[in-house]
Amino acid sequence: MDPIVVAKNLTKSYTKGLRALDNVSLTVDQGKVLVVMGPSGSGKSTLIRTFNGLETFDKGELNILGIKVDSTHDERKIQKIRRRVGMVFQQFNLFPHLSILENITLAPVHVQKRRQIEAEKYGMYLLNQMGIDSHAKKYPSQLSGGEQQRVAIARALALKPELLLFDEPTSALDPERINEVLDAMRNLAEQGMTMVVVTHEIGFAKDVSDQVLFMDSGKVIETSPPNIFFSNARHERSRKFLNQLDTY
Amino acid sequence: MFKININPIIISYKKLRKTLFSNLFNTIISLLIIVLISVTCVNTFEWLIFKADWKVVISNLPLYAFGSFPPNEQWRPATWIISLLSLSIFTLYGPKWRWLRKNLLILWIGTIPLGLFLLYGGVGLSPIMSRYWGGLTLTILLTVCSSFLSLPFGIILALCRQSSLPLIQRLSSIYIDAMRAIPLIAVLFFGQLLIPLFLPVGIEIDRVWRAIFAFTLFVSAYIAEDIRGGLQSIPNTQIEAANSLGLNQYQIIQFVLIPQALRIALPALTNQSIGLFQNTSLMAILGLVELLGVGRSILANPEFIGQYIEVYVWLACVYWMVCTIMAVLARHLEQRMTINQTNF
Repeated sequence: MDPIVVAKNLTKSYTKGLRALDNVSLTVDQGKVLVVMGPSGSGKSTLIRTFNGLETFDKGELNILGIKVDSTHDERKIQKIRRRVGMVFQQFNLFPHLSILENITLAPVHVQKRRQIEAEKYGMYLLNQMGIDSHAKKYPSQLSGGEQQRVAIARALALKPELLLFDEPTSALDPERINEVLDAMRNLAEQGMTMVVVTHEIGFAKDVSDQVLFMDSGKVIETSPPNIFFSNARHERSRKFLNQLDTY
Repeated sequence: MFKININPIIISYKKLRKTLFSNLFNTIISLLIIVLISVTCVNTFEWLIFKADWKVVISNLPLYAFGSFPPNEQWRPATWIISLLSLSIFTLYGPKWRWLRKNLLILWIGTIPLGLFLLYGGVGLSPIMSRYWGGLTLTILLTVCSSFLSLPFGIILALCRQSSLPLIQRLSSIYIDAMRAIPLIAVLFFGQLLIPLFLPVGIEIDRVWRAIFAFTLFVSAYIAEDIRGGLQSIPNTQIEAANSLGLNQYQIIQFVLIPQALRIALPALTNQSIGLFQNTSLMAILGLVELLGVGRSILANPEFIGQYIEVYVWLACVYWMVCTIMAVLARHLEQRMTINQTNF
């Protein structure tokens, strides 16, 4: 079985010589969960945003679901990838002018050309899975943050993706709303969804992830299984970061 | 027996005393203003009721409404105006929004072909040339047609101005800037006098349509700027979200950007269409007999000579009424649209 994500020596630098990504290489296998951790500004978000073409890179090679992308940023290949990769954002980014159900059915109907009724049926099934099917007719602004984020997950799932990207999905939520979102993500992982998750949630990383990737200033410091990373991190820098997270 | 509650009256009296007549200076000012207002009111009402001769209005009502449309066919424009009015009432007090959004827009757009059919005739109705059109009918026709034409044109211009292709972006900016730098009356002159010169021999565009095109060209530049404002206030994350769902550029514009931009620009767009309605009166100078033009031609009639004030007061009332209807409709639409979007 081919890996879902293979990144080789990804490098992205800004004009001032600052490197957002510095020779990043990684592999994510089918059904695995990779958690990306690191201090802010370390390039975590930039990294996972390159996976579906929201961010370009200057050097290196990316292979997502067997589709190879390089620094030329081929629009057609990226479009192909986006149809098979779902993404959940920190700020939910729901469409405020569409109802919850319309948010979810927009892409299936117009990108995958599925029938409206069929898409709505599947959308309701997903909302049911997320425990928010009673809100289907409401608008995003009428929902709490946690509910909005679960809608965003359902929206990403509506395209039946083979890979899900999470960019700090719980960072914008009230503390008491974080668990409902993490639980939904746990369920997905149990169902065998391949996921790349940028997060600061140690509990989630410990329980769910198969690998933890730690980044600092654009470099991969270490990639370890969670039990090793959290008890006995190999690098001084990772230990320091974890200590700071603990005290915080 | 009768129990009249005089408490509120006493309270308001005390309030008045406190605010308007608290000291000598205030008392003098208040009295002066009260006298001034009463004199104005008395004079105005005296003129309206006793001095003014409303025959010039009353005996010409069909003229104001339909211009020189043949009398036995005047039911046609009347039907159109009544259908517009009833659609407005229906929009305001009709059934719930979700159903409305799906069907009402089609009905509103449908009023244009209906109006044109009723005015032009054909297919069972006797054909009537556009030079017989006039009055309020023509004013409304100019407004409705120009608004509906300039909206899509304005959207396209706004999108072009945001385009990543430099040529298209430059061209549309130049167009918008040029149109905003030319006075409307000049554009209208251009439409009436120059367009016929540019067209090849044998092709002739109706005067009414030339006016509609000139208004469209002018207003769409302003609409484009309003919509550009709406587009710019949509956060970039919306585009990212749409991108990550695999929507292509056109789908993003159609399903994510335009609907949101229109909602944001709605108050400005209302302003434009009310302005457009009033600006149609400029066509009176250029020889179209719309509402103001009818007024002028009636004043030219020896029978009513010198009765300027009556005619213009009456015209002001008609303009005011139609504009109020438009404003109320737009406010209703705005409220309906923002109900679901308290925060972006």
